[in-house]
Amino acid sequence: MIVDQVLQFIRDPTSGEFEELAREAFAFQYEQIETYRRLCQRSEIAPKTVADWRQVPAIPALAFKSLDLAVGDGGEVFRSSGTTTERPSVHRHVFPDLYRATIDQTFPDAVLGDFPSIPILSLIPDRHQAPESSLAFMVDHVLRRWGAEDSLTAFGRSGVDPRRARSFLAARQRDKRPVLILATAFAMDQLLDALDRLGLRFRLPVGSVVFETGGYKGRSREVSQQSLLTRLQQSLAVPAERVVREYGMTELTSQFYTAVRHGGDPDLFLPPEWVRVRILDPESLAETAPGETGLIAVFDLANLSSAVHLLTEDLGRADGKGFRLIGRAAGAELRGCSLTVEELSRS
Amino acid sequence: MVHDAAIPAGIEPVYTAAERQGIYYSAAMWTPDLLELLALDLQISGRDSLAQIPGRALLDAWCETLAVFRDPGSAERQTLDPVLPRLCQLSPAGLEAGLESVLGGVDRDSASKLQRQADGWTSENSRSPLVILSLAANLPALAVQPLLPALLLRCPVILKSPSSEPLFAPAFVNALTERLPALKPALAAITWKGGDISLEAPLFSVADRILAYGDAETVADLESRAPERVFAYGPKTSLALMSDQAEPTIVAAGLARDIALFDQRGCLSIQAVFTTDDPNPLARGIAVELDRLAERWPPGPIDPVAAAGVQQVRMEAALRGLTVADTPLRTGTVVIEPEARFQPGPGLRTVRIHPLASMEQLPEILMDWSGQLQGAALAGDSAWQLCPRLTELGISHFAAPGELQTPDATWHNGGVHPFTALTGDELRDD
Repeated sequence: MIVDQVLQFIRDPTSGEFEELAREAFAFQYEQIETYRRLCQRSEIAPKTVADWRQVPAIPALAFKSLDLAVGDGGEVFRSSGTTTERPSVHRHVFPDLYRATIDQTFPDAVLGDFPSIPILSLIPDRHQAPESSLAFMVDHVLRRWGAEDSLTAFGRSGVDPRRARSFLAARQRDKRPVLILATAFAMDQLLDALDRLGLRFRLPVGSVVFETGGYKGRSREVSQQSLLTRLQQSLAVPAERVVREYGMTELTSQFYTAVRHGGDPDLFLPPEWVRVRILDPESLAETAPGETGLIAVFDLANLSSAVHLLTEDLGRADGKGFRLIGRAAGAELRGCSLTVEELSRS
Repeated sequence: MVHDAAIPAGIEPVYTAAERQGIYYSAAMWTPDLLELLALDLQISGRDSLAQIPGRALLDAWCETLAVFRDPGSAERQTLDPVLPRLCQLSPAGLEAGLESVLGGVDRDSASKLQRQADGWTSENSRSPLVILSLAANLPALAVQPLLPALLLRCPVILKSPSSEPLFAPAFVNALTERLPALKPALAAITWKGGDISLEAPLFSVADRILAYGDAETVADLESRAPERVFAYGPKTSLALMSDQAEPTIVAAGLARDIALFDQRGCLSIQAVFTTDDPNPLARGIAVELDRLAERWPPGPIDPVAAAGVQQVRMEAALRGLTVADTPLRTGTVVIEPEARFQPGPGLRTVRIHPLASMEQLPEILMDWSGQLQGAALAGDSAWQLCPRLTELGISHFAAPGELQTPDATWHNGGVHPFTALTGDELRDD
């Protein structure tokens, strides 16, 4: 069964061949998702006509706001945040074990290093607070797998709970145990603001790591990466090479990390073995030359529940095996006085 | 070399060479003291000078200046035309069409109408405040819409251009003051990097009123620094409504114009069309007309963020089996969307056509957008009959298709009389 094959491939990339699995995954979704099959039929594309994963029709991330794209029933349901005027994306994850497997394969190497377990401070809502958040699901898994007993979540009804966070950090500074902080860029910003207001600084033990995700869209304030790194160094004594960035989304399964812990470029996101990334020209959807800006298209075998080939809404530039994310501030000057979807997501 | 400042005599900033989008110009360097001095000077000398100007002379100078900027052969346009399209990210033909649309709306007829209202303006607190008009980015010539009412009320003005397009407003003010030198002490068109608290603080302490075009964050920042003196024109969106009494092929041309102007970046740019008629002929008609307009008014450079959004719309529509006109992305995108809901599009001349069972559905559909709507192009009697209910939702401008983007000088932008926006006072009839 394709699910088992993909699972095996995630755990051991030598156990199969990406191209073959890609075609089988496409065939599976072609059979199971009627809407997708009809699209392929209108385009005269079928599993037997596809010779290469690039030929598999991509599904736009926007489609998760209007369509039920799932190969079956059961599993987990994840929703992105919505507003009164903008619908959330809904991703039915029929095979949550695939999601867990991707975390198991990438998180330790990218983030944890040699720690079999570590005190974790999460500034991300837990599954009780956000039962339909795919990020909360991931963090829950991380806490269960690698969180030391005294790990905790410092997130309340009005956002980050600075008091709980402060106590945790102070305790780690005292007992000299390295910590892992899990946060979105905005949650981290909230915590650092709170520490600034209190005039507090910590010197977290050497080996401490910050896992940081998001911060580019749908917010009233975009967090500058450089500013965040500076503040983390100043307020927590966590150097830039211990701040691992993650790129992921509700509509996908796998995660992309920067390889800073291995001396890698802090702005370069690297795909795992079961994922392929292309950057496509926004006008023609042809693949761009390296270094040119375009739409990020992801072929993620682990996204077997819904859309293995996904066209994201994000812009990036290819660089070797990875890509660099371009902030959505690009083009902001051209907005004029028109209310756009972009403006909506800021409100 | 082109300057980014038009200022009264006696105010002497240092100028430096600046470059933007490959365009070189002379940029004035402002300090807090100099901005404060400028504001005080305008407030005192400007008011006195404005008070002496007969209404007829003001109107004549205004109309002559408009005519110059509507004439591509004029010296002023010859100077601006090579650079303005690049700064505004529009094609030359697109810019020409946009200029004509905005400038044509504040010509003699409508300016005279507004002047008569100014003459009859009475309020308990008659005054001529010093006004800062903080303009929106990259919509050329927008300066004329708040500038005319300010002058008719004899308000000294500082026009602040966005740093992305600093040249139109100074050129316009220079041409205007050349024709009516008495205006010189009362007007300045300059630019500086907005949000610089130390630079702006002395200026804001002198200014009586700030009219701001910008997003919620910009406005909130201004309001925190100039409490109770800010009037905001926030971002808004527009739509069209066509009943089955209207002829789709005729309506399509006008709607396409209202979609394509300014590459759909204006608050009066149509984002969606609702119709009680069969949507197919209308959608086809709009697609054909957008195609024609793409030749006549080619789009400016394609913004990758907008293009990303358009691709999402196109591909999502294709996945759902919706009707999508087969046109290149840069021409525009027309989708027949069966779901009766409203949402702004990603731009680049993208429009959704929504079939309705009855006109009565529309106010309910738009309820969540109340306060964020600006204009509606209307075709067919039963569409026009909906005006009162659409007004309750905040729509401030109604027009026939093709005329939406040419509001006249009396337009209540955001539902507020331009004089009220400037003074904070309500208009009273004598």
